[in-house]
Amino acid sequence: MSKMKIVLCLLSMFFFMAVPVMGQDDEGEDYPQEPIIFTKPVKAVIFSHKTHVEDNGLDCDSCHDEPFEMAAGTAEENDDFNMEALYEGNYCGQCHDGETAFASNKRCTLCHIGVKGYNRLQGSTAPEKEKKGH
Amino acid sequence: MKEPGSVHGITEMERREFLKLGLKITGVIAGGSILSVVALPEKEARALVDMETYDGSPYNPHYCMVIRQNHCVDCELCKEACVKTNSVPDYGYRTTILEKRLKDPEGREFSSFLPVLCNHCMNPPCVRVCPTKATIKDEKTGIVIMIDHKCIGCKTCMAACPYNARYFNEEKRAIDKCNFCLDTRLSKGKKTTACAEACPANVRVFGDLADRKSEVWKLTHEPDKAIWVLRPETGAKPVIFYRND
Repeated sequence: MSKMKIVLCLLSMFFFMAVPVMGQDDEGEDYPQEPIIFTKPVKAVIFSHKTHVEDNGLDCDSCHDEPFEMAAGTAEENDDFNMEALYEGNYCGQCHDGETAFASNKRCTLCHIGVKGYNRLQGSTAPEKEKKGH
Repeated sequence: MKEPGSVHGITEMERREFLKLGLKITGVIAGGSILSVVALPEKEARALVDMETYDGSPYNPHYCMVIRQNHCVDCELCKEACVKTNSVPDYGYRTTILEKRLKDPEGREFSSFLPVLCNHCMNPPCVRVCPTKATIKDEKTGIVIMIDHKCIGCKTCMAACPYNARYFNEEKRAIDKCNFCLDTRLSKGKKTTACAEACPANVRVFGDLADRKSEVWKLTHEPDKAIWVLRPETGAKPVIFYRND
């Protein structure tokens, strides 16, 4: 078998493996499949692209680059990335105003997963201290 | 199972809604579609805990805490502040957050978080069982405190506590527990506990129940707000009060 054949073989394998990924691009806009986890200013808040895109029909332009830049974690670096800002209609509060989507001051723990939710997502198997006892 | 003539199967929320209306559920008829209700005396209708039974307590100030439960997001800044302020070792805790996983009507998962600490009970089971009087109720403030040098580490108080609020501190060779930061903050002129100060959502409101102008008194005496305590059936009469909003 010539070296050329092996190279072709590998190339074709690569091509077939790549097809499904490229196919997704054709069907719709690409977005992160894993949830975004914010840990500032408090631990932790979950944001799911899947829920917002698939269940609520938003597209990239709905939130990018305003109010959120494409790079995950950018908003987190801002001093005003807090609940007060949301109540004033910034960040998540642009939609989560009680009309477009549920208000930012309602249903806290749908987004706030807490330290426990954060650890769960990290796959932490550390035993929880509070579970021990009598 | 909803059986005729029994109140079994009525959820706490349903019960509470009826209590708010001034009605008490006395039974369920016809597979749960018909409820048997009676009018409640006015003071019972106000809340699940009868706050009047806390009037005339011997403590002044009578320190207590109101926890606005549905605002807790388990950021655990309270726990961090407590550990730092009270030198809590990593194997112990003075306060904790419990979690219950729930689903909303659309099937989305979320959590209900429950901050728990020593309930500084009016009838504290831990104090009753301590063989050496190492844990007592502070005569002035009602805070359940430890006298470390009297503790023999028998852990009977740990078993007696309905709130799992005690642990054995290896360094002190004594049981350790929440004391509302009495030694670390209150005695130094600070007005609130470390956990309450650290909470970004104002979930923990610390104050004096004997003072009718205090925030804790107001929060526990709003006519249309249900107030509840953990494990009321023990008769320990806790002073950690829970409400929503």
